Amino acid sequence: MTVLSMQEAAQLVQSGMTVGLGGMTLYRRPVAFIRELLRRPDRPTNLTLLNFTSSYETDLLVGAGMVGTSRTCYFGMEAFGLAPMFTEAGNRGEITIIEETEMSIALGLRATMSGVGFLPAFAWLGTDMLKLRPDIKTIEDPYSGETLVAFPALKCDAAVIHGLRADRRGNVLLNQHFAIDRELVLVADTVIVTVEDIVDDIGPHVHIPGVVVDVVVHAPQGAYPTSCYPLYPISGEEILDYVDTCQAGDFEKYVARMLSDEWYSAARVE
Amino acid sequence: MDFSIDEQMVVCISRQVEDGEILAQGIATPLVMAGYILAVATHAPNAVFASAIGQGLCYGWGPLGVATIENIALGNAVLTMGFVTIAVDVLPIIRPKEFFRPAQIDAAGNFNNIAIGKDYQKPRLRLPGTGGIPDVSIKSNDTCFYVPRHSRVTFVEKVDFLSGMGYHPARTRGSGPIYLVTDLGQFDWHEGQMRLTSYHRGVTVEHIQKKTGFELLIADDVHETQPPAAAELRLLREEIDPLGVRTLETLSGSARRDLLRDILRREAAAYKSVSSSRRG
Repeated sequence: MTVLSMQEAAQLVQSGMTVGLGGMTLYRRPVAFIRELLRRPDRPTNLTLLNFTSSYETDLLVGAGMVGTSRTCYFGMEAFGLAPMFTEAGNRGEITIIEETEMSIALGLRATMSGVGFLPAFAWLGTDMLKLRPDIKTIEDPYSGETLVAFPALKCDAAVIHGLRADRRGNVLLNQHFAIDRELVLVADTVIVTVEDIVDDIGPHVHIPGVVVDVVVHAPQGAYPTSCYPLYPISGEEILDYVDTCQAGDFEKYVARMLSDEWYSAARVE
Repeated sequence: MDFSIDEQMVVCISRQVEDGEILAQGIATPLVMAGYILAVATHAPNAVFASAIGQGLCYGWGPLGVATIENIALGNAVLTMGFVTIAVDVLPIIRPKEFFRPAQIDAAGNFNNIAIGKDYQKPRLRLPGTGGIPDVSIKSNDTCFYVPRHSRVTFVEKVDFLSGMGYHPARTRGSGPIYLVTDLGQFDWHEGQMRLTSYHRGVTVEHIQKKTGFELLIADDVHETQPPAAAELRLLREEIDPLGVRTLETLSGSARRDLLRDILRREAAAYKSVSSSRRG
């Protein structure tokens, strides 16, 4: 495990990679890392985002034209409505959307963890999902003869997780809102964890073991404006401002403000 | 006592809850959450929440919030599992009650949360996605729905994409949906067809049919929905949802945005006063 600056860590994401972002919708998302990707003069492009759910953090990358493919089971802003840039790109067919569900993501991760190419489940059958995902095949249960769906293994080049605390061994403490973070780190080639705090030893209750963590970045308020329970709640005003600015057609204006030093310091005062 | 339509819907949802049930709480569904909590605070004190936030089980509740929405689930959780474990191993076994909010629904209860429009590559409106709907609806015996704004946009002859399964010939497990509440009335399914069982105060059967894009069955004993009781309204307004988060689901456009801003302001004030009293 290496401790890197945010700037150094952001260089690890290359164009064309599949990246999994930790947390869920507006909770504990690695926003400071996303901000650093946006700050790069050579922004990576044609990324595939493999998230359990996508929201503000990935919508920023979609708006900046950095996402080729979105794989998730929900892309939206919860109480704040539709994700503005994803919705626009989706309506125009400017982004490849691979429909996932809770089951396809969960079993896809487990298949990789188990070292097999797929895991079967009774899901999707009779819905339009198999038409929208022609890459997914069905399989006959060898015991009962019932038709099942064979969900293919999922992995990613890099996983980026925001946690509460890490220690010198790279052990990480999340909060109790795990989403799929504990599995993402097992199927990623490179694991980057940004944390509110780095300590010598976080003790026995570890959520992500240091043995799978490659990079730790110190990032206080690193999930802002998403929440980092119990340290800070969602900054609703900021999320609402993002949605309003995008809907007014001013995505670039929002990003310019977000990349400013003032935004960075304001996030840390709130 | 006067009541608003969101309060009527919350009370209808609450009355669907039986004591001791496991209640699945989805993402951004404050009307359902308010209904569940009202049930726990009245006739179903032993119900358990299976929350999408925290992916665990929790007892107890607090007032609804937007920015601090995690507090209810994470502050009261007795077990948190993560989404992989709860989706694959636990929810299929404990089979919680769940209310879905469809973007489109047909008479047989098939529903769509993928996109509106015939062309999947360039839809009229891309929707957030299906969550776990294609996983659970195909084996469910008791899917429930709620629709805060009943209109022909939602109630359609044929859904553009079928992500949730109703009474469908391809079904091999489970049966289909059993209950729906909208801002106009309550419905069940009779021989696989949606049927109006009650209309809310001030709404006519004709109006509901007019707002529905297919022929509705009407129950023989169709009647006015039982309105909220004074005690239910007091609990809802004063303890469960004093910020009025539930009302967000019935509004759209600038009215919704204004309310959201107002809720965030009042919630932040409440959050600050709690934080400072804890520090003090």
